Amino acid sequence: MPSERRSMRPPESRSRPRSRGLASQRLAEYAGPLSCAIGLVVVVGLYALRQPLILSPFGLASLANVSVALALAAVGQSIVLLAAGLDLSIGGQITLINCVAATTMGNSGLSIATVVVVCLLIGLCTGSINGLLIAYGRVEPLIATFCTAFIFTGAALIILPRPGGSIPDGFATALTDSWGPLPLSLVLLAGTVLLVWTPVFGSPLGRYIVAVGDDAESARVSGLPVRRIELASYMLAGLFAAVAALFLAAETTSGDPSIGQIYTMNSIAAAVLGGVSLSGGRGTLIGPILGSFVLAIIMSALAVFNVSAFWQNFIEGLILMVVLGLGGLRLLAAGNWLTLFRQ
Amino acid sequence: MSYLLQRISPGRRRVLFSYVILLAVYAACIAVNREFLSWNTLRLQLVQATFIGVIAIGETFAILIGQIDLSVPWTITLSAILATNFAVQFDSQWVAFAVVVGVGVGVGLLNTLGVFVLRVHSLIWTLSVNLLLQGVALIYTNAVAPTTRIPPVASFLALGNIGPLPTGFVLWACCAVLAIGALRLLPFGRCVYAIGTRPAAALLSGVRLGRIYVIVFVLSGLCSALVGLLLAGYSSQAYLGMGNDYLMPPVAAVVIGGTPLTGGVGGYVGSIAGALIVVLLQAMLITLNVSEGARQMVFGALLLALAFLFIRRSR
Repeated sequence: MPSERRSMRPPESRSRPRSRGLASQRLAEYAGPLSCAIGLVVVVGLYALRQPLILSPFGLASLANVSVALALAAVGQSIVLLAAGLDLSIGGQITLINCVAATTMGNSGLSIATVVVVCLLIGLCTGSINGLLIAYGRVEPLIATFCTAFIFTGAALIILPRPGGSIPDGFATALTDSWGPLPLSLVLLAGTVLLVWTPVFGSPLGRYIVAVGDDAESARVSGLPVRRIELASYMLAGLFAAVAALFLAAETTSGDPSIGQIYTMNSIAAAVLGGVSLSGGRGTLIGPILGSFVLAIIMSALAVFNVSAFWQNFIEGLILMVVLGLGGLRLLAAGNWLTLFRQ
Repeated sequence: MSYLLQRISPGRRRVLFSYVILLAVYAACIAVNREFLSWNTLRLQLVQATFIGVIAIGETFAILIGQIDLSVPWTITLSAILATNFAVQFDSQWVAFAVVVGVGVGVGLLNTLGVFVLRVHSLIWTLSVNLLLQGVALIYTNAVAPTTRIPPVASFLALGNIGPLPTGFVLWACCAVLAIGALRLLPFGRCVYAIGTRPAAALLSGVRLGRIYVIVFVLSGLCSALVGLLLAGYSSQAYLGMGNDYLMPPVAAVVIGGTPLTGGVGGYVGSIAGALIVVLLQAMLITLNVSEGARQMVFGALLLALAFLFIRRSR
């Protein structure tokens, strides 16, 4: 993916002293994605030792299928995080759009196409509701998106009170099958990234998002339209949530008013694993994607390793804590406490 | 009038606003249903508000130092299940309190480890701890079934009366006085505000950061664990998922009460109003007898309206 090489670093970052070499700077920037990549190799390796079939085209497709929805949600979350925001309504948006898709998608090609377009538009709308509230309404992101999550989930429950609805087989196979050794879900992920992330972060808008996330006040003083940029970041997150919801609809071939719940937290976790800073302005594209693959594959691998379902939450929590903690361990070596507050 | 408002400090004004909202919400409740005028209904709301209010004590401290504690739901569940089971096992209801203290302190120390020592963002760390606790609760209940014998003292705390008032409410009032006193009068309170305002400045002024973090998170853990025991007494059982409704309402209560999530400003006085507002809103929606989906939508929209009207970020 071309944009992963593009530096997401603002021109003058407060967090990095100038004395450090360029190489170590770049390394620090990619520490998250790098450790995720190593983690991914280890996890898939262990998985393959136990279940060699996982390296077959079918196995790879199934690995991709369990991860792509989270990866899309995590990329959306990362855009908001880069602008120093937070979206707790990603799960709610996914649920709403998933339910809309499952109840309205007919069987004809035309209706499928219409519903897909409508769903993407709904994603932009829900995202812009968040963005308007936060950028123009000045409500705290955490509170605003927490509230809109209720609204979106409530709307989903009204549309579809119980799991149900239907998704045509053609649409389902088009997103979840493999094309030779290449899982189509990965094509969807790459396509969405190429069509949305690359143009955005290749344009000034991407740099502006990072600038606002790094220091909103400086960005405002430099003449950037901070509010419009914040709004754009939430709309992009909504768009990614919509794609994730459509993919989930294809994967489960039905709608479920509780399907999105886990994606709120997991998308934040995947973004953080992938090295996206929760305080904004720092992060890469490849980080959250790798992070979500690691998380999702670990979760699905637990069953293969005969781990009882009762242990799953415990292990998931433990993995999260260990990974998050490892990131903090190097700070223990910091000579001066004050340096910690400049992070 | 506006001159009078000008003379009140912005922080006090926020607290004042939260009580104005409380009155407005209560008036709306009465308009919806006259039952809200009766003492029985009010008593019920007070008991419900006790649960959110006690959690909000810990949450207020955590938010004041610029952090957040989202490990509440499964701290509640784990403490309730362990406390009731151990009380039966050791045949002494006081063991339940020992368990509550143990769980509370344990969770608090775990949260401090991540948030202070390893400097992970509290939002994400405490949610991971929540997941871990959920795992522990699942593993434990898989091995040992939760008991239905609730220690009498828990039932008394949740369902009993002292004079006309529910015991839980009296307990909440005592805790509230202690919390407000600690924030206003003790050096500890000043340190909490100092850390929330600017951690680096607090450090340079000689505030023992670690000590304050430990106290704050252990307090928060203890509050949640205590509410776990109260809830077990209230519903006469401890079950998986009993704390699930207590993730965000306490945070909402604190924020509506005029303590912004950035920390350093606010206090517990407003959180009391916040807890009552959240509970009244939920009760009002239940009496309106609308579907689950519509209820969630209205709750979210109302909370959003309150946030929009009263607690916007400055600039």
